[in-house]
Amino acid sequence: MPDQARPPALSVRGLTKTYAGGLTAVSGLDLEIERGRFFGLLGPNGAGKTTLIGSVCNLVIPTAGEIRVFGHDHRTREARHLVGLAEQDVNLDRFLSVHETLVYHAGYHGMTRREARRRAGELMELFRLTDKASSPSTELSGGMQRRVLFARALMHRPALLILDEPTAGIDVELRAELWEFIRRLHAAGTTVLLTTHYLEEAEALCEEIALLRAGRVIARDSAAKLRAHYGADDIAGVYRQAMSGAPGSLEAVA
Amino acid sequence: MTSASFRAERSPFTWLLEREVVRYLKIWHFTIAGHVVSALLFVLVFGLALGTRIASVEGVPYDRFIVAGLVGQAVLLVGYINGTTSLFEARRDRYLHDVLASPLRWWEVNLALVLGGVIRGVITGVGILAIAIPLTGETVQRPFVLALGAAGALLMAGQVGVLAGAYARTLDHVYSLETLVVLPLGFLGGIFYSVSQLPPLWHALSEVNPVFYIVQTLRIGFLGSGDIPVGVALGVLWAFAIALSVWSLLVFRSGRRLKQ
Repeated sequence: MPDQARPPALSVRGLTKTYAGGLTAVSGLDLEIERGRFFGLLGPNGAGKTTLIGSVCNLVIPTAGEIRVFGHDHRTREARHLVGLAEQDVNLDRFLSVHETLVYHAGYHGMTRREARRRAGELMELFRLTDKASSPSTELSGGMQRRVLFARALMHRPALLILDEPTAGIDVELRAELWEFIRRLHAAGTTVLLTTHYLEEAEALCEEIALLRAGRVIARDSAAKLRAHYGADDIAGVYRQAMSGAPGSLEAVA
Repeated sequence: MTSASFRAERSPFTWLLEREVVRYLKIWHFTIAGHVVSALLFVLVFGLALGTRIASVEGVPYDRFIVAGLVGQAVLLVGYINGTTSLFEARRDRYLHDVLASPLRWWEVNLALVLGGVIRGVITGVGILAIAIPLTGETVQRPFVLALGAAGALLMAGQVGVLAGAYARTLDHVYSLETLVVLPLGFLGGIFYSVSQLPPLWHALSEVNPVFYIVQTLRIGFLGSGDIPVGVALGVLWAFAIALSVWSLLVFRSGRRLKQ
């Protein structure tokens, strides 16, 4: 029985999204992520990961289904305040500097100017952006822009942090730095939902992994149990088998 | 923390409105001064230079006659450009996601975008008048009509910009609409002439042009009279403004032009 007093961080029931052109990106998708989890969502391009995330974050209008964030309908202000999102694509406001990008984001979440500035200063220091505070976000290098995206997602202290391919195109050093930071956030109680194509990263970081194919969760468990089920040496082996639809696929585990 | 209601310490709406205004004030020499200078060039060339060769229009010197229309045209153009620049680019570059994923309500987003355009229109209009009035000796005969007409014109212009920003799919759409619709409607709206001087067909066509009512209300406000009764001018202008506002609110409530 679900605990009504402590609903899961994310509950998705029967999510379906058919785009205007007729493409059904997710179909009847169910997913539940407990509070405090570090959860990985793996799947090939077009599997429906970004559609799922967009639906949770009010960026995609679902065709059917129910989404709850810590028990709140995902469309409510409460739900939107609880989620922090760093998207796959760099989507920074070209009219704003790094500092303004962070401060206005905090403002959209209802912070006072003083608190927004204090928090922006804290995160710029943490992500080594202080020197670039006055620079337009869009004039920074790719790695710097990624840092701004991370900092922006964290400005309002979300309880559920969604990272959609956050390390795509960044160097090894920054990637290690970001993961260390996310680990610390998770240890402090933040629920993390991560999508990545770096399977070894998902294996090392995530307590639980779901494999998504053609808009459905086809397997879900800890990395160790998935490996055991598939008889694979690593999560990459699990991924290859699951995505090829090989016998022994994990519908039973899902 | 996770079960409590969302309570803002400062309204997210005021933050978004501030961002809208900061956006164009940062580049005021393009976004404000450019439109003021452009309108003043019309006053100088058509009003003060050529105006001496043009007979007065219904007893009003030509340079004074065109001021109301030029202000209306500038307000409309600024509203259109503001809405399209702000919303279309936010959609195209997807930084609108930061707003849509936040606790801002759909109507707050709409209101902030429209008010951003309205404030820019006010600054531009005041800028034009601050120079045009001393140059031409323009006066305000009916301030209440001018205020109501300006408010309707600003709202209409802001909503036109936001709607265009929501519907445009490419930058070409934005520029085409400006060149093929907004500017011609402005020039054919009676800025430079009285429609009573037109043949019946052109007169009738003018009356289905929404910009005509912007020009008329402002002209009645400044000069005291226009081509149509003040009640008709204000009534039709506000009907257009309200209809556009309802359309715009429906677009934002459904989210279909802003989300996938």
